[in-house]
Amino acid sequence: MSLFWIVIRQLAEIEAMAMSKKVITREEWEKKLNDVKIRKEDMNKLVMNFLVTEGYVEAAEKFRMESGTEPDIDLATITDRMAVKKAVQCGNVEDAIEKVNDLNPEILDTNPQLFFHLQQQRLIELIRNGKVEEALEFAQEELAPRGEENQSFLEELERTVALLAFEDVSNCPVGELLDMSQRLKTASEVNAAILTSQSHEKG
Amino acid sequence: MNSSNNDSCSNSTSTNNSIGGRDLGLYFLDQARLCSAAAPSAMDEAEAEEAPTELNTINSSGGFLVVSTDKLSVKYTSVNLHGHDVGAVQANRPAPFKRLLYYFEMYVKDAGVKGQVSIGFTSESFKMRRQPGWEANSCGYHGDDGLLYRGGAKGEPFGPTYATGDVVGGGINYASQEFFFTKNGAVVGTVYKDMKGPLFPTVAVHSQNEEVHVNFGQKPFDFDLKTFEAQERLKQQATIEKISLPPNVSYEIVRSYLLHYGYEDTLNSLYMAGKSTVPPVSMNQENGFDEQDLLYALSQRKTLRQLIRNGEIDAAFSRLHEWYPQIVQDDKSATCFLLHCQKFIELVRVGKLEEAVKYGRIELSKYFSLARFEELVQDCVALLAYERPMESFAGYLLEDSQREVVADMVNAMILSTNPNVKDLQGCLHSYLERLLRQLTACCLERRSLNGDQGEGFHLHRALNSTMKANS
Repeated sequence: MSLFWIVIRQLAEIEAMAMSKKVITREEWEKKLNDVKIRKEDMNKLVMNFLVTEGYVEAAEKFRMESGTEPDIDLATITDRMAVKKAVQCGNVEDAIEKVNDLNPEILDTNPQLFFHLQQQRLIELIRNGKVEEALEFAQEELAPRGEENQSFLEELERTVALLAFEDVSNCPVGELLDMSQRLKTASEVNAAILTSQSHEKG
Repeated sequence: MNSSNNDSCSNSTSTNNSIGGRDLGLYFLDQARLCSAAAPSAMDEAEAEEAPTELNTINSSGGFLVVSTDKLSVKYTSVNLHGHDVGAVQANRPAPFKRLLYYFEMYVKDAGVKGQVSIGFTSESFKMRRQPGWEANSCGYHGDDGLLYRGGAKGEPFGPTYATGDVVGGGINYASQEFFFTKNGAVVGTVYKDMKGPLFPTVAVHSQNEEVHVNFGQKPFDFDLKTFEAQERLKQQATIEKISLPPNVSYEIVRSYLLHYGYEDTLNSLYMAGKSTVPPVSMNQENGFDEQDLLYALSQRKTLRQLIRNGEIDAAFSRLHEWYPQIVQDDKSATCFLLHCQKFIELVRVGKLEEAVKYGRIELSKYFSLARFEELVQDCVALLAYERPMESFAGYLLEDSQREVVADMVNAMILSTNPNVKDLQGCLHSYLERLLRQLTACCLERRSLNGDQGEGFHLHRALNSTMKANS
């Protein structure tokens, strides 16, 4: 999760909060806004952080040249990470898992939740492609043991398997698992895990 | 009409350059001054708090206890006769509160005859001959019974008892507005904090031979505070992540940033990359920003930024005369002033001091009589006096950030020449900047509603803590 997203979300959170009633005039508020000191170079760093986390390598390079901002991670590591992210986004989860292990086998070892979500995504893709038998086998052999160890994994597993119960998946209560947004969520998770492991390597 | 010693800006040039008569460029004059040594960082000042470092020997209940010379331990010297001869000691300062947590520890060297040691927080007016928690506006976790007292003779079941050899800690979580206590490295419990006002870390001893040592952070804590803090932040993070945002909103904000400041190459790269992501980025026209205004003069703004970032001020001037003469028409405007200063600075930077002096005489001397320009022009000229100007108090002028201010100013001035521009203020601040200001101001407001307790949001700090985590 890039710092950029964190910042934007924080703002959304505050605006959503119901605060105790206090009246502030527009003038007062504009003065408070104007009193805030923001450095241009900090905003540049934030934007660079976005480009790098999302994997826009070329844009990051150009931004470095145009603004003089140094990226906070090595741009060379971005392509590998993006390849994994893209694989998940395209539904090629097995490929993604292989690539992650090539990058650093410890990532999945130390991240059981991530690994479970990747396996869950695999199951979703099998179901999406109508491979019912394979899906059931996969669920029983790979995912059920994880479910036994962890209550929330079990719940997730049950939700996913429920997809098989419906003829018309687009209307069922768990239909959102088949959405692109689910793939993007998993892709984002693996992206963040790789970033974290790479930054720990450096330090 | 302006007389020569009227330092208000001229309205006689294109009204496009002014908001209510005020020269748009003046905003950047303030930006330039922000980095000077004379300008204290207001934010840092507001956030600076002193933390407790030792025990307060002045107000402690003398006669019942003795505090060591290093003011970090206390021993009960009397014989416990009743409930008003407690030896309580406060820290020398109240707990700082402009942060997420505060924490301190106490090591029980000797639980004495009755083990009536305790740790907690008390208000300034606390009666020092009572156990923390026995009076209103105080709370204490007592070693003899493991109860938590918060204003009253009756305590509530809270945690284990503790005695000789144990390390107990007391803390305040400003986010959850709770006290928390630890024993030997583990949290034993939390309780809601409804005490307001400054709170002093307090320890107390009450029977013969009781002795405790305090740790205000001068040595590592027994309890893993860092991990605890990280976990608390994760909790906050989890709440934040539940909020859904329109897809690609970050992409669009970044795009508007690049457009606003004229980073054309980056913009094109980002656009091309966005088309080939999975799924391709599609922009939501309803997110409230009108690209057309920001596309105005993009190439030219990019060119001017590059020239200024490279220190080529003459070239910048000639381009401006060619493309936007109205911006550089009035020599007394902030725009011309800052450009001339920058030219001067560039000459000093490469050691062309004679040329700089000549230039200064021709172009800068007129600004000495104008109050709003005086400070900066004096700093510029002062650079001449030093063999190593970079190290002088005016050295900030030689930094990249100064070129950046000038580049941003020229950018804003060009944007303001757009005949379709509806909102001049918009030329000054990108959407990202406005969002960040809103965020910072809201966090401060929220904190002030919370008795000014807790963390605010500071972009600079947020970036640096991430950088530290990544390095």
